[in-house]
Amino acid sequence: MIYLDNAGTTKMFDECVEVHKEFSCVDFFNPSAVTIKSMEVSKKISETERFFLQKLGASEGNVIFTGCATESNNLAIKGSLRTGNWEYVFSSGEHPSVFNVAKALEMEGRKVHFVPLLKDGTVDLAALESVLNERTRLISIMHVSNETGAINDLKKISALKNRLCPKAVLHVDGVQAFMKIPFSLRGLSVDLYSFSAHKIHGPKGVAGLYVKNKTALKELFQGGGQQYGVRSGTENVSGIMQFRKAVEMIDVQKNLENVRALKQAFNDAVSLKGIKIVDFGGSPYIECLQFEGVKGETMLHALEQRGVIVGLGSACSSKKAGNRALENIGFSKEEIISSVRVSFNAYQTLEEVTLAAKIVCETYKNIVERVAK
Amino acid sequence: MKFGELFLKGRNRHDFISLLKTNILKKLRGFDCHLVETQGRLVLSDYIEDFENEIIERIQTVFGLIGVAQAFEFDTNLPSIEDVVVGAVEDSGGSKSVKSFKIETKRADKTFEMTSMELDKHLGEVVLDKFPKLKVDLYNPDLIIYVEVRTNKKTYVYTNLLPCAGGLPLGSAGKAMLLLSGGIDSPVAGYLMAKRGLKLEAIHFHSYPYTSVQAKEKVIELARLLTKYVDEIKLHIVSFTEIQEEIHKNCDADYMITIMRRFMMRIAKRLCEKNEAGAVVTGESLGQVASQTMQSMTVTNSVIDIPVFRPVVAFDKEEIMDVARKIGTYETSILPYEDCCTVFLPKNPVIKPTIKRVEKLETKLDVEGLIEKALATEEVIVVR
Repeated sequence: MIYLDNAGTTKMFDECVEVHKEFSCVDFFNPSAVTIKSMEVSKKISETERFFLQKLGASEGNVIFTGCATESNNLAIKGSLRTGNWEYVFSSGEHPSVFNVAKALEMEGRKVHFVPLLKDGTVDLAALESVLNERTRLISIMHVSNETGAINDLKKISALKNRLCPKAVLHVDGVQAFMKIPFSLRGLSVDLYSFSAHKIHGPKGVAGLYVKNKTALKELFQGGGQQYGVRSGTENVSGIMQFRKAVEMIDVQKNLENVRALKQAFNDAVSLKGIKIVDFGGSPYIECLQFEGVKGETMLHALEQRGVIVGLGSACSSKKAGNRALENIGFSKEEIISSVRVSFNAYQTLEEVTLAAKIVCETYKNIVERVAK
Repeated sequence: MKFGELFLKGRNRHDFISLLKTNILKKLRGFDCHLVETQGRLVLSDYIEDFENEIIERIQTVFGLIGVAQAFEFDTNLPSIEDVVVGAVEDSGGSKSVKSFKIETKRADKTFEMTSMELDKHLGEVVLDKFPKLKVDLYNPDLIIYVEVRTNKKTYVYTNLLPCAGGLPLGSAGKAMLLLSGGIDSPVAGYLMAKRGLKLEAIHFHSYPYTSVQAKEKVIELARLLTKYVDEIKLHIVSFTEIQEEIHKNCDADYMITIMRRFMMRIAKRLCEKNEAGAVVTGESLGQVASQTMQSMTVTNSVIDIPVFRPVVAFDKEEIMDVARKIGTYETSILPYEDCCTVFLPKNPVIKPTIKRVEKLETKLDVEGLIEKALATEEVIVVR
């Protein structure tokens, strides 16, 4: 099997399993208890929090560990709501875990702006500028698009915020960026940043939210007051420690170079009339293929039969028809339906992806023949 | 438990009841209990009371039963009957929550000292003595107290008679093969035929890779939902991909669906033979779509010589949806995964196909070969 849906999820590092065992069967203690054993576990979590802050390049603030990026995004947005005449700003290409929260805010009667995307998949900064004002309470824009790989310029967005609405909260969904592309939050006006473990070879069931000012964030649920009261509930100790392990294993720069080479090799080998590579020039981890006259889903199933696994955009949104990001960029319905998402991981080989590309071409040719009249 | 039409079955009655008992006990797998027949009623006892609601809920899904009630059972004698009846009124909240009542006696034990009418009257007076605020209302009472004096020298008193699934015991009519598409209609058709005593197996045709794996999972889930009524379903999953591709390549587009339906019937017939099923069940409703006209049914029926039951043929879509909601398949049926038919769907399917034309078109196909190949892809899942 050649797995090319790494933006959906990744295979976990074997090393995480060892960590899981250690923190589930040996150091399994509840970090909130007052025994020495528990204090030791609690200290490991604090230390891990500092580790993540450092990886994010944050000079201040905290990391809250959550159950998934969807929770991080919900906590970031819902925790920043205020009563009164405030405005909330989102990009049109956000992941459902942000976009559907925005839709819900709109339903509640709040003023919500959706900023369109440019042809290259990034958010239209001129349009963003035109909606920001002193009533803006929150801006939520993703770092790297899960559909297109387009990278938004956090420096420019920070600058816009500082100039037009310095009191607003800036949230960034960084799930497809964290440990994949190099960046640092140092000097940026990012107040909240979501990131997830299972997209970077860590376990499912754990994610993080960077929080610059935790006193400004309202908790989603009440309970025992763990994690500064922002996220009550016994910490997923093993998950957090496995997440850390996964991060420790990754060399962002080296991986990025590997993936660039993989993408190049794949694209070079996909050369067949009817197959279009849509390159947004963003993260090399993600790209989009369009198959003239064949549905993306048909290609996906036919490819799986031949041992190649690709994705249909966000796994969370592929249950519904359509692809919001591609639609907003201006692709036609036919183009969107005929699209699949190809996403790499740094530990694949050139041979593997070249073979996958060949299988993609053969499969497409075969399907076209089968459905021809 | 009361059974329905079984009374009509004369000499076969015994077989029916023993099948019914087996079916009830199958539904109650995992619960310790004791089931006996006493002339005209089935009595379940010796179960753990905490599970009573769950047991009753399961019994309500058994075909062949029309009613179930939680009853007090005791040795027949008048003072006990009086006490229990008064107790039953008290349990129902007495005059606080009930304004009127009625006693309904059945005296199967003809040796008992009073007739049904006399007992009705007597017990009514006893209740009125105790609860002077209550009124007797024979037509629209708030509370009916049922008193059954049975021949096993036991009396049963109950107030909360609940409806059951009705119909005939599952399996009493034999076995049929249901064409299960993933839509709203076919699970309803299966339910309705199972209700008439047919045990079900099911066939699903998929067109992978043109349809999603979720579509297949959806059908498995629908079969699982039906098992609430039919115990278990053997689901035969057959690939239709090559047949569709061949029809698409070689035949006129307007006849695509007609020819597909004929292939489905032929394969269904073959699987019926192999699995000893005596009929095919489909969810077709007259005129609902082009392939469900009278002429279409004629053309599809002509390749099969066993009965094709279409229990929803006379149902409106709304009526089918009502049953689907009642049996709990609706929510799953409307999940938006494409099923078998939508991939090569022609824009204008023929409404009045003819056997002559379809047979001519089919000469371009290796019908036998395609059936064999499709049958070779069969995957069998027993859904419980």
